[in-house]
Amino acid sequence: MGRKTIFFSNLREAGKPEQTETGKLMDWIANLLIPLIKSLILVIGLLVGFAYMTWAERKLCARFQLRYGPNRAGPFGLLQPVADAFKAIFKEEAIFGQVHSKVIYVIAPGISLAAALLAFAVVPVGPTINSFQVFGFQVPDISLHLAADVNIGVLYLFAIAGLGTYGIVLGGWSSNNKYSLLGALRTTAQLISYELPMGLAIVSVLLLSESLSLVKIVEKQAVLPFVVLQPVAALIYLICGLAETNRSPFDLPETENELVSGFATEYGGIKFAVFFMAEYINMIVVSAVTATLFLGGWQWPAFLADLHPLIAVGLFFVKTAFVLFLFVWIRASLPRVRYDKLMKFCWKFLFPLALVNLAVTAVVVALLPG
Amino acid sequence: MPIDYLPILILVIVALLFAALALLVPALLGPRKPTAIKFSTYESGKIPFGTTGRRFPVKYYLTAVLFILFDIEVIFLYPWAVVFKALKLFGLIEMGVFVLILLVGYFYVWRKGALEWD
Amino acid sequence: MNISSLNLTAIAPQIIIIITALVVLLAELFTGRKSLLAYLSLLGIIVAAIASWYIWNGTEQRLFAVPMFQTMAVADGYSLFLNLVFLVTAALSVLASINYLVRERINHGEYYALLLLATGGMMLMGSATDLMTVFLALEILSISLYVLAGFNRADLKSGESALKYFLLGAFASGFLLYGIALIYGATGTTNLAAIVDFLKGTGPMRGTYLFIGLGLLLVGFSFKIALVPFHMWTPDVYEGAPTSVTAFMSVGAKAAGFAALGRLLLYAFPTLLGDWVWALAVLSVLTMTLGNLTALAQTNVKRMLAYSSIAHAGYILIGLIAANEAGMAGVLFYLLAYAFMNVGAFAVVIAVGREGEPNLELSDYAGLGSRQPLLAAAMAVFMFSLAGVPPLAGFFGKLYIFSAAVQAGFVALAIIGVLNSVVSAFFYLRVIVYMYMQKPIVEARPVLAPPLALAIALAVLGTIGLGLLPTPFLTLAQQSIAMLFGA
Repeated sequence: MGRKTIFFSNLREAGKPEQTETGKLMDWIANLLIPLIKSLILVIGLLVGFAYMTWAERKLCARFQLRYGPNRAGPFGLLQPVADAFKAIFKEEAIFGQVHSKVIYVIAPGISLAAALLAFAVVPVGPTINSFQVFGFQVPDISLHLAADVNIGVLYLFAIAGLGTYGIVLGGWSSNNKYSLLGALRTTAQLISYELPMGLAIVSVLLLSESLSLVKIVEKQAVLPFVVLQPVAALIYLICGLAETNRSPFDLPETENELVSGFATEYGGIKFAVFFMAEYINMIVVSAVTATLFLGGWQWPAFLADLHPLIAVGLFFVKTAFVLFLFVWIRASLPRVRYDKLMKFCWKFLFPLALVNLAVTAVVVALLPG
Repeated sequence: MPIDYLPILILVIVALLFAALALLVPALLGPRKPTAIKFSTYESGKIPFGTTGRRFPVKYYLTAVLFILFDIEVIFLYPWAVVFKALKLFGLIEMGVFVLILLVGYFYVWRKGALEWD
Repeated sequence: MNISSLNLTAIAPQIIIIITALVVLLAELFTGRKSLLAYLSLLGIIVAAIASWYIWNGTEQRLFAVPMFQTMAVADGYSLFLNLVFLVTAALSVLASINYLVRERINHGEYYALLLLATGGMMLMGSATDLMTVFLALEILSISLYVLAGFNRADLKSGESALKYFLLGAFASGFLLYGIALIYGATGTTNLAAIVDFLKGTGPMRGTYLFIGLGLLLVGFSFKIALVPFHMWTPDVYEGAPTSVTAFMSVGAKAAGFAALGRLLLYAFPTLLGDWVWALAVLSVLTMTLGNLTALAQTNVKRMLAYSSIAHAGYILIGLIAANEAGMAGVLFYLLAYAFMNVGAFAVVIAVGREGEPNLELSDYAGLGSRQPLLAAAMAVFMFSLAGVPPLAGFFGKLYIFSAAVQAGFVALAIIGVLNSVVSAFFYLRVIVYMYMQKPIVEARPVLAPPLALAIALAVLGTIGLGLLPTPFLTLAQQSIAMLFGA
């Protein structure tokens, strides 16, 4: 037995009785193979989600504007994302412009994408499906999320969300293009500014949940989702979510008409698509987190969630889809804000508002018995 | 427990691999027809002039500094919020003092015009 | 846990100073008359002094050590006496600044807020009983001073001063923090009382980490109090910074460094005495000698005072090396005396200077005795006192420190100290020679603004008063250090 094995088996719960060789093998599978499979499912799921999010957005926007939207490729244009994917993959692969650093230019979209994919890891998707039998074969307990019970889940989310900024900033800088640099600078300032009220809004939730684990936060909402107790925090979180994902009306980093796509001016083909992917996956993550933190995740309403684990999962996805629909709706309805107003709004309105909300919550929690 | 983080490590590896794959594989599939004009820096169709290595407004630095200041405040609030119910009034007053001191700074920055963008 | 367990009354002087700083910062936004802020600061300083006095008298026997913040800090005689030193320094500096800031066109209210914050940091250094508090206080103090050093934004020298101070200060903080980390690694605690217990338990501890940690700590402090060979930043920083800031930091930052160092070495690490004492002795000799010899060559009064302040750190260090009650009492007495005479000397430099400070050369002092006799007399008092001429404050400070060194068996060190004082007399007296025995080059009479005059008068009063009546202050100092020696 190598040192690594010792290391990993030490990590497992202490005090378990001595195991047989096959038992150890099973542990290995449990520890490595199952997360690996889950990771693959998660990544593929998010990609499919991304693909059909683009389709849904185009379709919805079209309907809002009394158009049809994509309707040529497949029924209802459902094959449109597939066509887009093939287009991006077979585009000319090139480094446009006189870039500062080829390496950074190439890996920047990758950083954004990886960060977006990682964020979902701690989001609880549904309850554990209890052990059941299929054709006489005993299927063990299946927990539906990857690592949701990590006790610092919220901090993890916050940290990973911060990482995504690097991709955009490095991409914008390395492009050696004035539009890109401006876009990158704006992005940095915007993203870091909106992180403050976002963080404060989450703290208000933590005061109620008393835990940083997203699973515990969801369990706390079995009776009443936090959006009822914390409507202001929920609103602030949603607004900041829009800004953090560079969504309209806060899409100033990539304004087409003044900055020519901002940080992405010099990107084309698959690299542009990867930035695009990261943005949409971030959007899905923000929606899922909103559903988890404020809408009760898979737990609420409890009478439905308790019926069957799959219904609970369905609840979670319905809520996420609802928030995503809000994103599209807002995009179709609101014009882009001016940059100075965007920053002013954050620093002079959202930040104090979030602080006041936090203070009120803290006072109420401190004074209420029990 | 550290074992709780193992799935995240695995996801990190999978995500990085996937990102690398997404960026590298199409490079082998696409055509290559380089021309000088195509590969020049885009500047609304004009011939680019000057460099990007110029000074940009100090506002961005200022925002970054302010962010660090207040973000640390927010991060301090996280552990406090989790144990808040145990601390009760004591925690409220302690954190109140901390936030109040920072609010003096916030108010100062506001009045000095550091939050204006024009 | 509740509020009363924190024992906030014991930390009241520090709290008062910090609150005043915040109030000044806010008031700055609404008032155009910045001198109001100066008087507000003075009010805060006086209230803090009263609070210190109140705490001093609050307990029956003087052997009080009221721990606060869960033993992170303490209010004992030592910290309260040092409060006096810092508050005197701050008050004199504020008085000297009021018209100076107007003259140099840097009259912003933030100046007073930063000065008060630095004072708060210094006071916290005096009362810190945990290495973390020491570090925290040091950072509060240093960061405020970095900004103050560069306060004259339009002046290149001031900017240079701030940048040099910041870079080397940050470097020193790094050393200090690394030292703290290693000490924590060796002893498992950052609390001084717990370190004492640990060292008692292990007997004569000979852990490598502890030694390296202590060494790094000494290097960090040596940077901060400008001991040779860690003094390189001092002359440039002191010369470039606005003069009122130089006055404040040459005394305050140094005293704060000695305060923390004294408590650390004598309270927490007396068991390692045999090891650190020789390192400090070497530093002390180098510091005195190099400071004085370089000061000899200066023609710029501000720069000369900068080198002289290096030399004085060397003298004060002798008191620490003696490591007995007389030595430590001498250190405290010396710090108080130094606060009066050094801030006073810089106040005179302010008075003689004009906008942009072009006239800091010795020749600008020529004939000051006939042009402005009172000012020249005050400068003469400060120079005599810095040189250690009886019966002024500086003399008794040196007397106590050197005699303590002799008591402790460091005769050679005392002799070197005395020799150095003789050398230093040359450049201090040279100023007096210029003032009284040279023909004035310019006839202009320096104008003395009332607050500045008050600052100089108070400093003269302190310098002479401590010289004529040293006993009550020495008694006070002796009472206040009882805690350190576990009496």
